[in-house]
Amino acid sequence: MIQEILAFGILILAIAFLIKKYFWKKKSDKNCGDDDCGCA
Amino acid sequence: MLSSHNINVALIGNPNVGKTSVFNQLTGLNQQVGNYPGITVEKKIGFCKLPNNYKANILDLPGTYSLNASSIDENVVIELLLNKNDKLYPDVALVVTDVENLKRNLLLFTQIKDLEIPTILVINMADRMEYKGISLDIPFLEEKLKTKIALVSSRKGTGIEELKQLIVNYKSIPKEPCLNASVIDEEYFEALRKTFPNQLLYKLWLVITQDVNFLNLDRNEIRNSYTKSHSDLKRLQQKETIKRYQFINDVLKEGLKIDLNSAKDFRAILDRVLTHKVWGYAIFFFILFGIFQSIFEWSKIPMDFIDNTFASFSVMANENLAPGVLTNLIAQGIIPGIGGILIFIPQIAFLFMFISILEESGYMSRVVFLMDKIMRKFGLSGKSIVPLISGTACAIPAIMATRNIENWKERLITILVTPFTTCSARLPVYAIIIALVIPEKRVFGIINMQGLTLMLLYLLGFGMAIFSAYILNKILKIKGKTYFIVEMPNYKLPMFKNVAINVIEKTKAFIFGAGKIILAISIVLWFLASYGPGEKFKNAEKIVIEKNLAKPLNHSELQNAIASQKLENSYIGLMGKTIEPAISPLGYDWKIGVAIISSFAAREVFVGTLATIYSVGDSDNDNTIKNRMQAEINPETGQKIFNFASGISLLLFYAFAMQCASTIAITKKETNSWKWPLGQLIFMSGLAYLVALIAFQILK
Amino acid sequence: MRTTLNILKKGEKAIIKEFDVDAVPLKLLEMGCLPGNVVELLQIAPFGDPLYLNINGSHVAIRVETAKEIEVDLIENN
Repeated sequence: MIQEILAFGILILAIAFLIKKYFWKKKSDKNCGDDDCGCA
Repeated sequence: MLSSHNINVALIGNPNVGKTSVFNQLTGLNQQVGNYPGITVEKKIGFCKLPNNYKANILDLPGTYSLNASSIDENVVIELLLNKNDKLYPDVALVVTDVENLKRNLLLFTQIKDLEIPTILVINMADRMEYKGISLDIPFLEEKLKTKIALVSSRKGTGIEELKQLIVNYKSIPKEPCLNASVIDEEYFEALRKTFPNQLLYKLWLVITQDVNFLNLDRNEIRNSYTKSHSDLKRLQQKETIKRYQFINDVLKEGLKIDLNSAKDFRAILDRVLTHKVWGYAIFFFILFGIFQSIFEWSKIPMDFIDNTFASFSVMANENLAPGVLTNLIAQGIIPGIGGILIFIPQIAFLFMFISILEESGYMSRVVFLMDKIMRKFGLSGKSIVPLISGTACAIPAIMATRNIENWKERLITILVTPFTTCSARLPVYAIIIALVIPEKRVFGIINMQGLTLMLLYLLGFGMAIFSAYILNKILKIKGKTYFIVEMPNYKLPMFKNVAINVIEKTKAFIFGAGKIILAISIVLWFLASYGPGEKFKNAEKIVIEKNLAKPLNHSELQNAIASQKLENSYIGLMGKTIEPAISPLGYDWKIGVAIISSFAAREVFVGTLATIYSVGDSDNDNTIKNRMQAEINPETGQKIFNFASGISLLLFYAFAMQCASTIAITKKETNSWKWPLGQLIFMSGLAYLVALIAFQILK
Repeated sequence: MRTTLNILKKGEKAIIKEFDVDAVPLKLLEMGCLPGNVVELLQIAPFGDPLYLNINGSHVAIRVETAKEIEVDLIENN
C-alpha cells in the first residue's frame, strides 16, 4: 500500500539523517562552498 | 543598462560599535545565518538594494579588534580577506567604527587598508557626537586616511542612504594604504618584498604571524627563508601596533576635537552602582529573578495554545486522512514531534530576548566583571555566566554561547557542565511527577511545597554544575594562556530591531538544529513503538479479547487494552523490559523504562510516551494521565508505582541524567572530538543512576 | 621597586612604562595598552579581581595577574 511505502520511506530518511549528523566524517574542511551546508 | 550589478561588501569592525545595527539597517530582514564549513562560526549574509540598480551582498564578519586573530571567529575574518578567490571576497570593505572609540577602532582600519581593498570608513553613533562634545573634520580625515567617510547613526537611521551611494561608487575609493608600517624593520620587509614581488607585503606578514595561508605559497618556505624567532615576531607585532597608533594619534589630533565642557558621562555613575560590592550583586540577582519569573508567566499562555493546536492537528489528521500506517505516523509521530519542538519557542524566545537586551545595553559585561573571580574558583570564567543562564532555556544555544571564552580549559568546563542546569525540556517531566507525588500543602502557611520542590530542583541543577566544574578543574590537566580581556562598552538603550532580529535568528537556529534531530528521533521511536517482533505483538487483538472473555470490555476500553498490549510487545517495549531489572532498584518499571529511553530524543517526550503507554487518547489531558499514573500498581508488590520514593528518584534521575541527543551532538561539534561528549554521557548517566538508586532505597 | 598596574587605587592614573611582550597578550596592546599611554583605574570588582580600567580611552576589564605584568609610573594628583 502506498501508505506503508511512504511511511517507511520517511523512516529511512530519518535514520539516514541521524547517521549523517552523528557519524559522517567531513572529508575536507573547505569543500562546502559558501552556502549553508546544514552544518548548523 | 538595466541589469543589476552585484557588489560584494564585507562589514568589519570592533565589537560593540553597532556593526550589527548597521547591517540590520542595510539589510532589514533579508539576511541568512549559516555556518562556515568545518567550524562553528556563524556566517551572516544579507542583501541590500542600492541606487542605480546595484545590489549588495553584505557579509557581516565577526567583530574583531585587529587582524591579529586571537580566536576562531577572528581567523575567519583574515581568511576571507586574504583569499581573492573566495566567492565572497569583498569588492569593498566597510569598517564600522564608533565615534567615541575612534582611536582604537582605527587600528583595524589601518590594517584593512594595508590589504589594498577599497575601504569605506563608517563612523557610527553620530547621534552621540553632540552629547559628548565631539566634532570631526571629515575632509581632513578622508584625506589622511585615504578613504571616504560615512557619518552614520544606525540607531536613528541617518547616513544610511549616503553610505549606500558610497558603496555604489566604490571604484573611486583609493586603494593605497594610509601608512607605511614596514618601517618597523626595513631590512626584513625589503628582503621579503624582493623574494615575493607579486604578493602584498602585509598579506605576507599576516601569513607569517598567523595561522592562515591562502596565498598558494608554502608557508614554511616563507618562514624558513626569513626566520625570526617567535619572540622576535611578537616584538615586531608590538612595534607594528605602536606605529599604527602613532599614525592614528597624529591624524586624530587634528581631525577630532572634544569639548570637555559639553561632554556628559553617565557611564561612571551607572558603573559605580552596578559593580558595587553589595548593590551590584543584589541588582543582578533581582534582575535574574525577574527574568525567570517573567519567562514562566509569559510562556504559559502561548505554550498552552501550541499544545492545544497540535493536539487538534493530530485529531484532524486522524479524521481526514485515509486510515493506514502513514496516517498514524503523521498523527502520532510527526505532528506531536513537531509540536513538541515548537512548544519550546516561547521560553527560548523570551530568554534570548532578555539576554539580548542585557548584552545590547552593555550591562552583561558588568555581570561578567562581577562574577569572574567567583567563577574562577570553580574553573569557569566570568564569561561562563551567559551560557549557564541560557542553559535554563536550552543547553544547545548555551553551549554555542561559550565561543567567546578565550581560555580553552574554562571554555571546555563550561561546555561540559552547562547541561546540568535545568533546561526547559525537563519542566514537563518535573511538573507531572511533582503533581503526582508531592502533596499540595503549604509550609509555614505561605510556601507552596510543590513550588518549593521545583525551585530546589533548579538550585540542585545549578549547584551540580558548579560542583562538577570544581571537580573538573582539579582533574583536567590542560595548560593554556589564561588571559581575560573584556571590553566595557558604554551603556545604551537596546534597539528593538536588533533584539528582535537576534531573537528570531537564535530561535530559528534552535528549531532547525535541535528540532531536526528531535523530529528524526521521534519518527524512529514511533516506529519502534508501533512495530514488534513475535506473536504477542501480531496477535494483540486476539490475545486481549481472550484475556477478557470473562468480563468483556467496551469499545474504547478494548482499543486501549490492545494499544497497551501492542506497546508492551513492540521493539521499544521489549527494550524497556530488558532494562527493567536494571531500573527496578530505582523504583521504575518497564513502562517508565520505555519513557526514559524515548526521552533521550528530547526530555519532554517522556510525558508523551507515558501518555501513550497509559493508553490515554490525547496527551494534553493532564488530569487523565495523572489519574491513570496515580492508579498504577506494581503487579508484584501490590504497591503504587508512582509513590514518593520513586517520584523523588525520578526527579533526581532527570536532574542529573545526560540530556538529549542534541546536546551530545553540539558538544561534539564545539569540542571537536567524541571524547568529551562520551565522557559526559558516562559520567552523568552514572551519577543519575546512583543518586536515583540511593534516593529510592532510602525513601521506600 | 617596580610599580605595576595592579597596585593602583581606584581613581588613580598612571603612564604605562613597559612590560614583557610574552606576558601580555597582543590583544591588550591593540586595545591601547602601549608604553606612554595613560591608564586609569575606574573600578575594582568585589574580591579585588578583575580590574576595570580606562586604557588610552578604551574601557576594559583585565585580571590582576595580567595587570601585575605591566609596569607603570604613577601620576600624582594635583
